[in-house]
Amino acid sequence: MQSFRLLHALSGALAAAICFAVAPAHAQASEQAIKAAFIPKFVRYIDYPPASRPGAGQPYYLCVIGRDPFGPLIDRAAASEVIDGHPVAVRRFANIDAEAVAGCNIAFVAGATDAATGQMVEGLKRQPVLTITDARVGRTRGMIHFAVVDGRVRFMIDQGSATARGLTISSRLLALAVEVKP
Amino acid sequence: MKRFLSDAAAWLRNLPAGITAALVALIVVAAGTTIILQSEGDYREQKSEEAQVQADILAASIVAAIDFGDSNAAQEAADAMRVNRQLRGVQIYDRKGDRIAGYRRDGLPPKPTLAASRAAATPGIAAEARVVNGGRQIGTVRLAVDRQPLDSRFGRYFVIALLVLMAAMVVAVLGVAQAMLRRANRELEIRAAALGEANAELTHQMAERAKAEDQLRQAQKMQALGQLTGGIAHDFNNLLTVIQGSADMLTRPSIKADRRQRFAEAIVQASARAAALTSQLLAFARRQPLQPEVIDVNAMIASMIDLLDRTLGERFTIKTDLSDQICAVEADRAQLASAVLNIAVNARDAMPDGGTLAIATERITGEDGDEIAICVTDSGSGMDAETITRAMEPFFTTKGAGKGTGLGLSQVYGFATQSGGDLRIVSKPGEGTTVTIHLPCSDAPLPQPEAGPGEARAARIGAVLLVEDNEEVGEFAEALLRELGHSVTWARSGAEALVAVAERPFDVVLTDVVMPQMSGIELADQLRRLQPELPLVLTTGYSDEIAKSGAGGRPVLLKPYRIETLAKVLDEALTGASAREE
Repeated sequence: MQSFRLLHALSGALAAAICFAVAPAHAQASEQAIKAAFIPKFVRYIDYPPASRPGAGQPYYLCVIGRDPFGPLIDRAAASEVIDGHPVAVRRFANIDAEAVAGCNIAFVAGATDAATGQMVEGLKRQPVLTITDARVGRTRGMIHFAVVDGRVRFMIDQGSATARGLTISSRLLALAVEVKP
Repeated sequence: MKRFLSDAAAWLRNLPAGITAALVALIVVAAGTTIILQSEGDYREQKSEEAQVQADILAASIVAAIDFGDSNAAQEAADAMRVNRQLRGVQIYDRKGDRIAGYRRDGLPPKPTLAASRAAATPGIAAEARVVNGGRQIGTVRLAVDRQPLDSRFGRYFVIALLVLMAAMVVAVLGVAQAMLRRANRELEIRAAALGEANAELTHQMAERAKAEDQLRQAQKMQALGQLTGGIAHDFNNLLTVIQGSADMLTRPSIKADRRQRFAEAIVQASARAAALTSQLLAFARRQPLQPEVIDVNAMIASMIDLLDRTLGERFTIKTDLSDQICAVEADRAQLASAVLNIAVNARDAMPDGGTLAIATERITGEDGDEIAICVTDSGSGMDAETITRAMEPFFTTKGAGKGTGLGLSQVYGFATQSGGDLRIVSKPGEGTTVTIHLPCSDAPLPQPEAGPGEARAARIGAVLLVEDNEEVGEFAEALLRELGHSVTWARSGAEALVAVAERPFDVVLTDVVMPQMSGIELADQLRRLQPELPLVLTTGYSDEIAKSGAGGRPVLLKPYRIETLAKVLDEALTGASAREE
């Protein structure tokens, strides 16, 4: 049974490898790289409440909370993003207890366990921040939840919780979502 | 500008119509082509604008899809464009120019890169839009639009082309018509010119002909004059021979009384015939003063029968058919008798072997009232139509030279018309001739038959003032007047006469008309003012003035006159004067 699983995993990896090999250059060369590239881009499609928008010359803060699966990938991606004159700055936190977390505009949350992730996502609901989770980390879903569908990195959107925090998600982004939870 | 237009118009007018029409037709076709090309250009521009707008819309809608590398979402957005049937295809390229999504309606494989797509020729209209995110181009949308299908475009342009062609054809037809009209006009002008020349030629010929006719007429006149003078000379020579011979015989001392009487009578007769001849000449000239009197035509013709018998000779029979419905006519008795005699002589000449001469009178109602018709019909050779038309011409005669003067019928015609009537001739060759004198009826009562020739003596005698410039005639007249028992004073001019009248009274004045200085008419007018009661008798052989203005109601004694006539005229004048006095 184990070996069967292993075989399945192997075959999936092989399939993914073949996919990556034949896909165009811009396609998911690396799942993490793609996710790292996606995350700063979300900022452009989110309309924040006026109070939480950055001041002139101030950056949007992208917070990686908990485990950091991206490393320098996300720093590079964030550096290339400028939204209406505001750059995107990456901050890393171990948990949501730090005060600076209050300045986050967008947060990738990956706890050590699924429950920890869930706690942090719940905790972030106190402020207007776009929470992002990954299916590979756990089942807990933030407002945007990454998933690999048909070998491609896709995401689901929980429009309801975003709206509750005063965030408006662009319909263009909604159109790309695999699933939208109202 | 205005001047340029008018210059252009003048230049166009001077061109031949065909070329002008071709030019205008060309302009029309060029204008039509321009309109079509312009329309096609506008259409292309509009289509490419539409394509650009569609590309822009698509580019805006796929920003996120390209941003997140979602080719499926991009493909969905591209597929949504399939609704537009005019789109040949839509392709979406990423930042590097590689194709992400799209479709081609024709099903052929799409070009893998933007550069390859740009390089390939597209039959439709291509439009490109950049996909921009945050001021950076992240991709490109390229789409191609079919032009409107050829048939529908053709349908639009066909109407314009048809209109243009029709206009061009109309212009061409007009031009051809104009050219034909001009040609026809030119031909007409040529013909008119030819006609004008022909007309000028004709006019010239007519002038020539008129000249020739004038010359001919002149020649005829001279010929006629020759005929006339020949005829008259012949007649007069005959008469003069008789008169001269008789006069010579009378001068011989040893001549018996009865022979003297015969010679004297011969002179009288010859003179009478000569007088008749000159009278005819004057009648022809219509310069003879007529002495109209009331005549019973029947009685006059009856009295002429003996004369006609003698004139025509034994081989002729004279018949008369005189109407009892006759009326009186006012005419010159001598002229009427002469006219009948002339017709009778013509009839005789038309019947060389003898025949019948019928004289009839009839009362008819003509246009101007009742008329007497005197018909003289012979059974002679007759005349053809041309001879009839010329019969009344002066000097026209069918008789040989010396036999006739050609004045007979002319005299009759002159007399008839001068008397208010007419002369008609009806004849056919071989069927005889009828000559009819028409004379208007007179209201005057028919005269009573005269009581026979009276004694050649004056019933009344008186003091006569004779005015005569001619010595011989004066002596002769004075002798005649004295013979009649009158006392005579002879004045040789009008002035002398006026002096004489002032010195002593006269009972009657007998004056010649044609005199130098003062004519008889002028003298008569002056005497009428001086002594209105003094009777006056004019005498003349020929007078323009009397023919023109008449004698003014005064009696006229025609020369040559005979003693009986002189006695009668003076008698009447004296009687009239004494009647007025009483």
